[in-house]
Amino acid sequence: MQRNRPPSAQTISVLRALAADPAHWRYGYDLATEVHLKSGSLYPILVRLADRGLLETSWEPGVGSRPPRHMYRLTSAGREFVAALGAARAGRTVTHPRSRWIQA
Amino acid sequence: MVQQFTVIMCPLGIAIAMFLRPPQTLLDGPAEDMSARLLRWAAGLLSPQRGEWGQAMLGEHAHIDGRIRRLRFTLDCVIAALLLPPWGRRAAAGVWAMVAVAVGSVALYASVAIRYGLGVGDWVAAAILVVLLAGYLIAASALLRRPGVAIPGLLGGLFIALTWLAFYGFTFYGVIGTIPTMWEKLAMRIAVPLVVGAAGTLWGRDAVVGRRVARLAAISAGLGLYLYGMLAVAVLGAGGPPEGTGLTVGFIVSDRLGNGLVDLLLTTLVTATVGWAGAAAAARLRHGSPAPAQPGPFIPAATPDTRQEA
Repeated sequence: MQRNRPPSAQTISVLRALAADPAHWRYGYDLATEVHLKSGSLYPILVRLADRGLLETSWEPGVGSRPPRHMYRLTSAGREFVAALGAARAGRTVTHPRSRWIQA
Repeated sequence: MVQQFTVIMCPLGIAIAMFLRPPQTLLDGPAEDMSARLLRWAAGLLSPQRGEWGQAMLGEHAHIDGRIRRLRFTLDCVIAALLLPPWGRRAAAGVWAMVAVAVGSVALYASVAIRYGLGVGDWVAAAILVVLLAGYLIAASALLRRPGVAIPGLLGGLFIALTWLAFYGFTFYGVIGTIPTMWEKLAMRIAVPLVVGAAGTLWGRDAVVGRRVARLAAISAGLGLYLYGMLAVAVLGAGGPPEGTGLTVGFIVSDRLGNGLVDLLLTTLVTATVGWAGAAAAARLRHGSPAPAQPGPFIPAATPDTRQEA
């Protein structure tokens, strides 16, 4: 049974970083650097977001001897969630982010 | 004598194991540094459902410039791999059971030390105990995540612990005062771990699984026997055999706590090494000479290689 917890501050910062340019694919290390998270914190967050359908992933083909690289961006559900998050923060809550988080 | 022999054989066995490892794992060349190997090991700890994320970490690692940055990234990922759910019910139950045994042992040690007003040396030993137990728990957590290891490993540990306790007559007096004969020592320290290691290989139909089973069995048996020993010290204190030594109560209790700590270290090490040898021998008898491992292509979307050595 999946537990539904409200998103942590770290999760919200990752979501906001991804939402800054939602169409753009992002790399894990760049995300971690931008939001000042360790990879040990970032990857579990990315896993949870992907499990909840808020994040989609893709592989960038490897170049030369370097292996393929995983990329991430928000799904439409993820964008809606971040939008609701912003709305709630601004005090214009239509759908509370927690309920969106639970629905996702 | 058996104990000294087996303690000497442990480093020798480890050295032979290192020598006999396929050369590819030791001589990968500059293409894969230490942090990449560590990260590959950590990725193998993830459940099959999380295999893609392990490959994602490996792919990202290869694009990070700077050895220190890569190492930092790797260490963080190792922590994530050790903490990332889901573990599976069996693995989670096994880890929590071992945590409970370890915490209980430390609590017993501390209660005995306080009750008998032991000195600084015993508290230093307590700190060493905590570090040792933490290492055992991390190792057990990693082993329990490997496929096909949890059940035979924990059953093997139970078998080893029960066999040892049977030699002691399942009594606190026996644990404190029994000095096993040569044959009993051979059975406890050599035969039983060999059987467990060989059974692990036969159970998993793979020498790698067998060696992991042997190590998990050694750790779980070591923790269980240590807890039993601590219970014996807590109940008996300075009582029990040998009687009338003329030593102070504090000295006897401190000595017993110290013996327990040394036994925890040596028993686990010896049992794991002998069990490892049993697993390897069973695989050799079953299949003949192992085929050398071939490096495979990188396949990002595939389940990570869960047969990597823990």
